[in-house]
Amino acid sequence: MNGILETLSGMKTGGRRLIGCFPLYPPLELLHSFGLTPITLWGMRDAVRDYGTGDRHVQNYACQVARALTGFVIDNGPSLFDALFMYNACDTLRNLPEIVHAGIRETGADLPIFRLHVPALSPDRTGAKDYLRDRLRLLMADLERFTGRPFSAKAFAESAALYAKQRSFCREIEALCTGGKMPFAAAAPLLERAHFMDVREHIALLEEAVTHHAGLPENGSGVRVLVSGIQAPPVDLLRVMDASGLTVAANDIATMARSYGTSPTGSDLLDYYAAFYFDHHPCTTILPAGDRRIKLLGQRVQEDGIRGVVFFGEKFCEYEYFEIPYLQETLNTRGVATLFLELGADDLANLMPLRTRIEAFAEIVRGDSV
Amino acid sequence: MPHETPTGGFKKTSSGKRLTGIIMNDYLQLHQRAAEGAFVVWIAIVVPAELFAGFDNVVYAVPESHAAMSAGKGVGAVQCGKAEKAGYSSDLCSYARIDLGTAMDGGKDSPSFGMPRPHLLVSNNNNCSLLAKWFDVYHRVWGIPHFILDIPFCYEEQTPQDFAYIRGQFADLVRTIEGLSGQRFDEAKAREAVCLSGEALREWKRFTSLAQHRPSPITAFDSFVQMAPILTSRGTQQLADHYRALADETEEQMRQGVYPVPDERYRLLWDNIAPWHQLRKMSGRLASLGANITTASYTYCIGSLEGTFDMYAYDGGDPFAWLARLQNFSVCPHGMALRARAMRQAVERNGIDGVVFASNRSCKVYSLMQMDQMRFVRDELGIPAVMIDVDHADERKYSEEASFVRLEALLETIDAGRRGNGMNSGNPSI
Ligand code: SF4
Ligand code: SF4
Repeated sequence: MNGILETLSGMKTGGRRLIGCFPLYPPLELLHSFGLTPITLWGMRDAVRDYGTGDRHVQNYACQVARALTGFVIDNGPSLFDALFMYNACDTLRNLPEIVHAGIRETGADLPIFRLHVPALSPDRTGAKDYLRDRLRLLMADLERFTGRPFSAKAFAESAALYAKQRSFCREIEALCTGGKMPFAAAAPLLERAHFMDVREHIALLEEAVTHHAGLPENGSGVRVLVSGIQAPPVDLLRVMDASGLTVAANDIATMARSYGTSPTGSDLLDYYAAFYFDHHPCTTILPAGDRRIKLLGQRVQEDGIRGVVFFGEKFCEYEYFEIPYLQETLNTRGVATLFLELGADDLANLMPLRTRIEAFAEIVRGDSV
Repeated sequence: MPHETPTGGFKKTSSGKRLTGIIMNDYLQLHQRAAEGAFVVWIAIVVPAELFAGFDNVVYAVPESHAAMSAGKGVGAVQCGKAEKAGYSSDLCSYARIDLGTAMDGGKDSPSFGMPRPHLLVSNNNNCSLLAKWFDVYHRVWGIPHFILDIPFCYEEQTPQDFAYIRGQFADLVRTIEGLSGQRFDEAKAREAVCLSGEALREWKRFTSLAQHRPSPITAFDSFVQMAPILTSRGTQQLADHYRALADETEEQMRQGVYPVPDERYRLLWDNIAPWHQLRKMSGRLASLGANITTASYTYCIGSLEGTFDMYAYDGGDPFAWLARLQNFSVCPHGMALRARAMRQAVERNGIDGVVFASNRSCKVYSLMQMDQMRFVRDELGIPAVMIDVDHADERKYSEEASFVRLEALLETIDAGRRGNGMNSGNPSI
């Protein structure tokens, strides 16, 4: 499998117009309908090993996602991307567009950055829907100017259908993990590739994996656990979980379940995104979704027979950190064991302490399940 | 205004004494009225509290302000520790940790015995969304409704669409309180409160603008201390009177030749939240070096529109409109260009020699632009800058020695620049 940089370079030289999107949930379908290939710039742990460029611009107490994004886009943005997109996903990301832009300009290049403000309100609040519609109209007008083509409802419907298909396959992959037919360590990298590939090509990969694994016998004999966090933990840690007798049967990860959990129907762009953002799969970054998230996690735990939850805390992500103590307490009260592990840019080089903690946790959970 | 001798340190002036009285009285009133059945709202610092004056019996508390006071009184680390023990990461904003620690322990160790439990939480993602996550903790644990104000970040000046969106939410907030408290909103009363806030801000600006004088009759530390009632007494006559007296008193001290750093050789600008646990120590030690942090982005933004330094006056019209237009007054919701624009004005008008960027891991929204801002200060404004690590409310994360090594290096760079061989010819960012 090619690394991210090679994949993107290949797409670029193949003639695609790439738009680099700041996480978490950009309006992929809309961007795609204008003939762009949206790439969501999650942590890129494989592509960014050296945080030097990012660290010239943001302090090292920004999360790994922000540090990696800043450096990657400044170093590679002008050669890979035709434009950038960001929305107000989180406090850290909202600070970045001008920093990234200034960094790119220092290199003598330039890139347009499109922005969107998604209301952090429930849809019944005054002005929430209208404001979103208004912002989307402005974004559409910007994209029309940039691409030189008018918005096409037909193209949008086609793009929406493609992403719906991709998300549906992603959910099938997750169901295979839940059913013990596919190890999560194999599923996670495949699911996360969604962000760095053309949607059609990703669908083909997913389809192949679904076909292959659906016919396999169930093999998830371990204690069923759910993993939660912003990015999938490194595969090495997932393998440790497998080897320790833990079967990841569900996930609450932003790059995965929180991304493919929402798939609106309908082809009216404005209604589509009202549904997409206001009814989005709960995420810590979606402010009005806090209550829904806790309910949903409880449901998953119950329905999927989850005995343990591992929180992979993205270091310096305050969104995640405010919810974890309450969730841990609530889950523990229900007899579900929890483990909190912190993963920052600097922890990736030495996973040994985390491996040890996972093994110790597995012993506890296995003991509980006897 | 608490200052005294060339070597710094605080002496309580009459404004300082009055300030203590106001704050004590505000918290007393808050507890008392809550005990008597008032509807209690906890708000984020930038929620327009003048609106609550439109109700007969609504009182408000500001957890951030209470946290700052706790840090200033030396109990910040104790309260943070309580939150950390309950599982809240030490990387979270120290205001939030202080507040959670205080609330979890029933107000124990708080200088104000905590705050009365609210009927409604009103957060505002203007400064940071973290506030919404923080208030959500109480929403979950206590089952209290949580109203979020969603304020678009300003990369440019507020647009008419953003203005309308914000104004609409303020009206929504009023309706929500009406519904929950059973009280009717009286716009005339809110208008009166807005008038008084306008008056208070005008006096505040008169006070802070005295930093243009050489030597400056104030330090930024004075403005840090004196900003407290803007948060707890918004829209009141006592606030307007207090700031008028504060500005008068400061002018009187100028006439008498009383200055906090009479031998003022370095005029500095502070960028970030006040280091609440260090006010005395830092101002005193700087004063002994002939340095005065005269100006702070944290306090010059109060009463100004995004990207400016001047007062945005109330014209007597729609109070909701003024509040909505002034909603983005604090620095955190400003993009880099706007921050730079306001900082340029501050540097030029107040004759600033160097900028201290307090890199604050507890407040990422304030801090995560500073590295580029340092370059702006150096390259565009042509003055040196330094970055020091400061947590605004958790003193465990502050090293005085490490900070002063850098601060002294800044002063040396300023000197070198004056001699013609430093700034503009070397590397002024330290
Ligand atoms: S990890 Fe958290 S802080 Fe970082 S970009 Fe994602 S949501 Fe924002
Ligand atoms: S993160 Fe910064 S803006 Fe937000 S509450 Fe803390 S100190 Fe205030």
